[in-house]
Amino acid sequence: MATLIKDVKLSDNIVKKVLFEKHIDFINDYGQDENNYEYGMTDYLRISGMYWALTALDLMNSEPAQGKDKVVEYIKQCQDPQSGGISACIGHDPHILHTLSAVQILAMYDQLNAIDTDGVVRYIQGLQQPDGSFAGDKWGEIDTRFSFCAVMTLSLLKKMDVINVEKAVDFVASCKNFDGGFGSRPLSESHAGLIYCCVGFLSITNRLDIVDQETLAWWLCERQLPSGGLNGRPEKLPDVCYSWWVLSSLTILGRLHWIDAEALKTFIFACQDTETGGFADRPGDVADPFHTVFGLAALSLLGYESIQKVNPTYCMPQRIIDKLELKPQYLS
Amino acid sequence: MHGRLKVKSSEEQKAEKKKEQQKKLVAYQMGMKKILSSRQKETYDKESFGISAQLLCVNPDIYTLWNYRKEVILIEHDKSKEDEVEGEEKFGQFLNTEISLTEQCLVANPKSYGSWHHRYWVLLLHPKPNWEKEFMLCTKYLNYDDRNFHCWDYRRLLINKIGITLTSEIKFSTDRLNANFSNYSSWHYRKSAVFTDPADSSAWFYLRWVLSNPALTKDKKEKLMEQFEQLEELEPDCKWILMAKCWLTGSLILSDCDHTDDRVLYYKRLLKLDPMRKGQYQQYLQLKD
Ligand SMILES: [Zn+2]
Repeated sequence: MATLIKDVKLSDNIVKKVLFEKHIDFINDYGQDENNYEYGMTDYLRISGMYWALTALDLMNSEPAQGKDKVVEYIKQCQDPQSGGISACIGHDPHILHTLSAVQILAMYDQLNAIDTDGVVRYIQGLQQPDGSFAGDKWGEIDTRFSFCAVMTLSLLKKMDVINVEKAVDFVASCKNFDGGFGSRPLSESHAGLIYCCVGFLSITNRLDIVDQETLAWWLCERQLPSGGLNGRPEKLPDVCYSWWVLSSLTILGRLHWIDAEALKTFIFACQDTETGGFADRPGDVADPFHTVFGLAALSLLGYESIQKVNPTYCMPQRIIDKLELKPQYLS
Repeated sequence: MHGRLKVKSSEEQKAEKKKEQQKKLVAYQMGMKKILSSRQKETYDKESFGISAQLLCVNPDIYTLWNYRKEVILIEHDKSKEDEVEGEEKFGQFLNTEISLTEQCLVANPKSYGSWHHRYWVLLLHPKPNWEKEFMLCTKYLNYDDRNFHCWDYRRLLINKIGITLTSEIKFSTDRLNANFSNYSSWHYRKSAVFTDPADSSAWFYLRWVLSNPALTKDKKEKLMEQFEQLEELEPDCKWILMAKCWLTGSLILSDCDHTDDRVLYYKRLLKLDPMRKGQYQQYLQLKD
C-alpha cells in the first residue's frame, strides 16, 4: 500500500508576487545576441522562441527592446517563397510549428500583410492528409499538435474553408481515449499537452460536443499535486508549462474552478528565478522563455491582476482575439 | 528546458564555462553554415554529411539536419538504382548506418520526436527492414522507461506496418503491467481492473471508464458497491474509493433515488479528504440540492 506521490517540496520563503521587472529584463536580455550561448544554440526553434518571448512581454504590458520592426523583418526572411511555409530561422526548413508562431506574432502586431499569407494558406492546406490529419512538414510526421497548428493558423488568417474541417475533426476525435483525454495519434496515451492541442482544436472548429466534458475535466483536475503544481500525466512530476496546458483546457471546458487556484499560484510563484528573472519548470531549475510565457499565461487565467488577459485557446492576448473577432467555443 | 537544476558556481568556474561554451557555439555555427550552404539536389558533400551526424548526436532537435539527411538518403536511393547487381545491398547498408545513428541519438535523448520519426522514415525506405529488431529496441527502451510515450507511439506504427494481432499486443502490455502496476501507459491498453493498491490512482482512472459501460447490470453494480465498502473498511481515508462510490451511485450509471442521500454524504466527506478539488465536489453537491 505504499504508493508515493511524485511531487516537489516548496520552500517556506516564496515570493508571493510576479517579479515583472526581472522577467522583462530576462526576456529582453535573452533575445539579443546570436553570440550568446543559450540563444545561439537554439536557432532551430527561433521563431517559436520569439513567440514565447514576445507574448510574455505583451502579457506583462511591455514591448521588445529590439523593436517590433526588426521582429517583422526577421519573420519575412524566414518564409520559404516556394512552399509558403515559415522556418525556425534563416536557412532552416519550413515547418508548421514555426509557421503558426510567425502568424501569431504578426497577428499580435497587426502585421499579417508583411508576409505572403496566401503562401502560408497553401502550405497548411498541402499538409492535410487523406485521413484528415496534418503532417508537420513535407516529411510526413503526423501528430494532433499539427492539427491544432493548422486550424489555429488558418483561423487567424480567416481561411478555415481551404481544408476539409470535417475530416480534420474526425482524425482528432479518433485520438480520444477511454479516460476522456487525447494523445498524439489514435491509441496514444493521454497527455495534458496533447489534450490542450485537441481541446483547443475542437474549440476553434466549434466541435466541443466531441469532448467527454465531465470525465476529461476530472482527469485534468486530478493533475494537481499537494505542492499545488500540475503534472502532465498521472504519476509524473509537476511542471509550470502544464499549468498552462491543464488550465487552458479546464477553462475551455468551463471547469477552471475544479482546481485549487491559490495553491497553483503559489507553485508558479515558486518557479520564478528571483536572481535572473524568468520562470523555470520547477523551483530551483534554470529559467527559460518557454516556461516564462506559460507561467504568466496561467497566472492570467487565474486572474492575476496587472497581467494582460490571455485567450485560453490561442495563448495570445485576449484583446487581439477580440480585435480579430475570433470566437472559439467554450463550454459552461 | 526541462529538469535542468541551477547550480551555484564561482566566478572562475563561470569564466571557464563561458570559454568552453563559446567554443561549442562557434563550432555549431560553422558546422551549420557548411552543411546548409552545401545542400544540393543531385549530389552531396561527404564532410557536411558527417558533421550533421555529430551535431545531431549532441542535439537531435535540429530538425533541418534530419531533413538534410533525408535528402542525402534520397540521392543515394537514386544512385542505387543504377547498379542492378549490388545497388540494393549497398543502399541497405547505407541505411543501416543511418538506423544506428538514430539509436545513438535516442540513447542520449529518448524523447526526441525527430530521431523517432527519422528512424521510421528510414525503415520505410529500407529494402529489407528488420522489424523484429525494432520491436526488441522498443522493449529495451520500455524496460528503461515504460512511460516513454514516444516509444509506445513508435511501437504502434510498427504494429500497423507488420500487422501483429491485437491480442499479442495486449499480452505485451499485460506483461509490462505486471512489471509495474502503476504504469499508466500500459494500463491504457488493459481491459480489466485489479485492486491491489487503492492508493494508486492508475487503476481508478481505468475503473471510471469500466463503470461508464452501459452493459453493466444493476446486480453487478450492487456487487461492486459491496466490494468498495469492504475496501473502505481497510482504507477509510482513501478518496478514490469514495469517488468510485459516487460514480456508481451518481449520474454515470444509476439514477437511483435510493442512493441520493448517500451520495451527498460521500461528496461531503470528499470535501474534507481532498480540499484541493472542492470546486468539483461542491458543484456536484449543488446539482443534488
Ligand atoms: Zn515544462
